[in-house]
This record gives sequence, C-alpha cells and structure tokens, in this order.
Amino acid sequence: MEFDWTPEDVAYRRDLQAYIRKMMPAGWRGYDQTDRPTYKAAAKAFAGGMAEQGWLTQNWPKAYGGAECSAWRQAILGEELTPIGEPRGSQYMNVNWIGPAIMRFGTEEQKLYHLRRIAAGDVFWCQGFSEPEAGSDLASLRTRAVRDGDDYVVSGSKIWTSHVGIADFCILLVRTGEAESRARGITVLIVPMGHPGFTTRHIASLAGDESHYELFFDDMRIPMSWRLGEENLGWEVVRWALAYERVGSTQYQRAALQLAEAAQIAIANGRFEDPEIQSRFGEAWAACQAARLLTLKVYDLREQGSPPTADSNLSRLISTDCLKMVAQLSADVLGLEALDRKGPGVDPIRNASMAVASGTAEIQLDRIAIDFLGLPRSK
Amino acid sequence: MQFTLNEHQAPIIGSLETLLQRHAGRERVLQFARTPGYDHELDAALGAAGFMAISQASETGGLDAALVAFEVARCAGVTSFTASALVAPMVLGEVRDVRVALAQAPADQPVRLGGYAELLLVLKGDEALALDTAPDDWTAVDTNRAGFPLARLRGEALARARSLGPGSGGRLRDGWRVEIAVQCAGLMKGALDLTVGFVRDRRQFGRPIGSFQAVQHRLGRLAVLAEGARWLALEAAYRDARPDLAATAAAFATGAADTMFRECHQLHGAIGFTREFPLHIWTIRLLQLQQELGGAAGHRRDAARLTFTQPDVLALSVAPAV
Repeated sequence: MEFDWTPEDVAYRRDLQAYIRKMMPAGWRGYDQTDRPTYKAAAKAFAGGMAEQGWLTQNWPKAYGGAECSAWRQAILGEELTPIGEPRGSQYMNVNWIGPAIMRFGTEEQKLYHLRRIAAGDVFWCQGFSEPEAGSDLASLRTRAVRDGDDYVVSGSKIWTSHVGIADFCILLVRTGEAESRARGITVLIVPMGHPGFTTRHIASLAGDESHYELFFDDMRIPMSWRLGEENLGWEVVRWALAYERVGSTQYQRAALQLAEAAQIAIANGRFEDPEIQSRFGEAWAACQAARLLTLKVYDLREQGSPPTADSNLSRLISTDCLKMVAQLSADVLGLEALDRKGPGVDPIRNASMAVASGTAEIQLDRIAIDFLGLPRSK
Repeated sequence: MQFTLNEHQAPIIGSLETLLQRHAGRERVLQFARTPGYDHELDAALGAAGFMAISQASETGGLDAALVAFEVARCAGVTSFTASALVAPMVLGEVRDVRVALAQAPADQPVRLGGYAELLLVLKGDEALALDTAPDDWTAVDTNRAGFPLARLRGEALARARSLGPGSGGRLRDGWRVEIAVQCAGLMKGALDLTVGFVRDRRQFGRPIGSFQAVQHRLGRLAVLAEGARWLALEAAYRDARPDLAATAAAFATGAADTMFRECHQLHGAIGFTREFPLHIWTIRLLQLQQELGGAAGHRRDAARLTFTQPDVLALSVAPAV
C-alpha cells in the first residue's frame, strides 16, 4: 500500500496540464452545447491533438493505438479533464468504457475498426440503455431485436440518452431472449447514427443541452456482425461498462474544483470567516477527498485485472453526494447570485442530476448492500 | 499508487491477525467492559512482536503503524498502542516503550486511558509538553463502565511537565488527529461488521431485517463512511500526518463516527443498549473520540483553513508529488 504517483505519471499529468493551458482559455468550464457543429469540431480538435501526442489511450495495447501504460493514466486523464468541463466532449466515454468493452468483448474486426478511431480522438458515441419503462430496472428493457437471416430487426425506443446530437455511433441494449428473460436475454449492438429506421428526438433539459434525447427504432436492420459479444450475454458487457462508467468521469475532482472556487469567493466576500460556513467547507472537502480515494481504489482494482466490484458503487455514491453538498454550499455563500448561469456559482441542477445518471443513488445503495456488505436480497 | 498490502505489509498484518485472535475478540472485550482496566497482556504481545517500533522500521513506517492501529481498534483492544507507536515517535523523534496518553492544556478534561499512562503528551499552543505520570496523578472518571476508561489529571501534576520546544505542538496536534482518524476508522469497521451480522440474523415479519431496503440503504451509507474514513486516515499516516491531510482525515472520521454511533444503535434495537451485547464496546469509544481535540467542527475548520488558504490546493490534493 502506498499513495504516490510514479515520476512518469507525474510527468504525464504535467504534459496534460500544459496542453490544456495551450488549447483552452484560462478558466474555461465547458462547451456551449447548443451550437453542436462548433462544439463537436472543438472537442475533436482537442482530443485529436491529444491523440497525436499519444495521450488519449495510453493504457491501451499498442495494437489499438495505446502505449501499454497502467490504468492510472486514465485516472489522471479524468482528474485533469472532468473538473474543467471535459474538453474532449463526450469522448470521455469512449476511453473510459466503450473502448475497454470493445477490447474485452469485440471481434478482431470490431477492435481494429472502432478502437483505432477512438484512439485517434475523432469519433463520438452515445449509449442506448434506459427506456421509458426500464430505468433503474434496466434488466426489464423491451427494445426487441429479432433475427432475420444474417440481420437483427430492431424495434422499440430508448430515453434519457445523452450526447446524441454529436454522436457517430450508439451502443445499444436490446432484448433477444424471451420477454421475461431479464438479464439473461439482453444483447449489445453497435449502431451507426442515422442508420435507416433509427430516428431521434431532442428533449429540452435543465441539466445541459446534450443531456436528454429519445431514440426510436422502427424495424431497423442491423447485420449480426455489428453485435458486441455473444447473443443474450449482453448483461455481462453492461456490468463491466457500468463499473467503468461510474468512475470514469472523476466527479469528485469536479466537486473539489467547484468547492475550491467557492472557497475563494467566500474568502473574498468574508463568508469564510463564519465558523459554520468554514466548518462546512472542511466537511465538504473531506468528503471530496474520501471520494477521491474510494475512486482511485477502483482504478487500482482495474489495474490488477479484477472483475467489477461494488467499490465502483461506493465511489459513485460518495462522489454524487459531494456534488450536491458543494452546490448547496456555493448557494449559501453566494445567495441568489448562485443561480445566475453566467456567474461563478455552481449549477445545482446539473450537480443534482449526477445522482441519477449512471444508476441512481438508490441503485448504488442496493449494490453496496448486497455486493459489498453481503446483505440478503429484498425478495 | 497501490491500495492493497505490499510484500512488506502483508506478513505484518498476517502476524497481527494471529496475535489479535489470541489477545482480542468479542469475549475478551466484553470482559474488559465488565471490569474496566487496561489490556497489559495485549500491550506486551504487541511489544514482543515488535509493533511498538513499527513507525521507524521502514520508509512506510507511519502507514504501517496506522494499518496495525486500525486492526487493533477494529478488534477493540484496550491499549494506548496507537498513541505510543504512532503519535509519540512523531513528537519525540524516537520510540519509547511506554504507555502514552494525549491531552490538551490545561489538561482539565478527562483523558482517554489517562490512569494507565506513563507519559502524557499535552498540546499547549505551538508547544507539546511531556509529563511522566504515575497512577497517583490521576482520578478515575465515572464512565458508567462504557467506552475507554477515562481519568482526570490532578491539578498540581501538570507543573512537572517539560516543554518539547516550539513547533512540537503542531506535530502533536497532527499526529493526534491521525490517531483519532485511524481509531475511529477501525472502530467503525468493527461496529459496522457487528451490525451487518445482526441484521442478517435478526428476523422480523418472517424475513431477515437486513433484507428490507430501508435497512440496506442505511447500511450502504455507513459502508461508504467507514471506507472513506479508513482510506483518509491511511493516506494521512502515509504522508507523515501532513497538517491539512490530518485535519481532513479527522474531520471525516469524527463526522462519520457520530452517524455510525446513532445508526448502529438504531438498527440493533433494544439489544444494542444492553451490557451483554457488545455493540457498546465500539460505539461508546466512537462517542469519546469525537469529542477530543475540538471535535468534528474544529477538525473541519482547520481542514478548510489549511486547505483553501494554500495557493494550489487542487494540484496538491491530486498529485502530492508535484
């Protein structure tokens, strides 16, 4: 047990920080997502530049555009890019879990095609998981894929999908088993956006312009070679994907940055001298640091090749708690100013939404209770 | 960065577990709760196994001492091992094989395991004071036979204390904070394990109460608190009780300890308040530790001050080597 970064990891972090300073204006905190073409081009330029330096997928095998470094490189990427508003755009998902899922479950053809594009930093994905009747109960999903010759014919819909407006591919969960087969009858398909039979609807959202979409599949034909992993065994892909997704965007560091910025405001306006406020800053900071360590522990497990564990649920739960705690503190320091979107306050809606994304806090608690503490199932 | 025990730590913890099976455990801690006292046998065993000097034994000595202290606390050992092996060497610069207790000037508050201390370290502003003490220097406090034995230092005794010099107070405060954090973390793990076992066994409405989601979610939150406290304490120990990390670890641990106390008792129902059931062994100690050195609010304010008045706090938090 030890808590130091290697000199190589430290050098990598410094390179990233210098690159961010070169590419993004000081104090940059995220793209204007309403102007999608500009947003996509800028995110591509940023990620593409990283790819040219070999910085985007350092922990991947060389054959797929990586440098065979440790999984810690990915933690560093997250720590540097998530807090400031993710200049890669939604490409963080590619590196965090879509790439690793393809690496683990994909065919050689899929790996060569998709992994190289991801490593080059010029492709965007979205994930078609939730449905109108399958949110927290994801295993009850109904979007149906029926075999017809060498194709699947897909019909149904997805909802709450993020990043659709700039996506090139969708990673889609469909039901191939019997209606009641739950987790035993789910298959993963890779679908290009705009494929015949595939339409989308933007849902206006308070949590960011690219946060929510609906996807519709009307007898969409997908070749079987676009399937990721075995038929009906998609739940295993989901388990891996979600475990990676939950820690992939390092939310604790976003909360920590927001907290540090709120503290500077509080120091400037004198509120920091209020013992109660100061105590809450310490409390929130301690929670952010606990979240950091609980998340890094998950990276350590990944580095050792461990299958997903409930540690990712602990990480997610405490990280989203931190985001809510920090938003409340920011509001208490700034008053109504906190709700001026052009002001320095923390967006309370966006922070609160993180405790719903990637599995609600209640789902995280279910997993912790059963998988981490070994409590009996509730039914 | 490695969260599992390394080749040097695994055998240390392995041999400690064997030792604790012999010298700690449920029956033994219940016995110490019936007749309050100090576990000299456990102390002697820890000393004979070389754990007293562990903090000076290798480059990761501080962390190794914290790992041992965590296990001793988890098993509810009645010993001042952590103050002696983790805190005192930071302040004295050497290992002294004596029972150490910690107090804040003017030392008029009850002191944890005070009546058994041979050396009392007293935090007085920027200075630490050292006082060699004997049982005669102490008056026992009525703790209702729960938690650590507490004792009050007799008024005249402090006059004999000698200063350890300017700056020694900071080391004592930071080391004490790590001690509080690691003790709370170990005790919380002990209390949580006991509670999880209880709700798995206890049946009401025809099923284990641990199968109710209302119970599961509360325990899920406690797991996050216990784990978070543990890693913060270990990291602070690894970094030689750096002041901001020590305050942060103590802030989290003491806040969590309060929640752990209330929730574990609530989830146990009436049996948790009895002497014959051991929950109180862990929880009352958590209550005591929460109050030391200014309590959660004091640790939190110091964590905030020490953190946010530093120029590049974020760089420091994610990449301490930079």
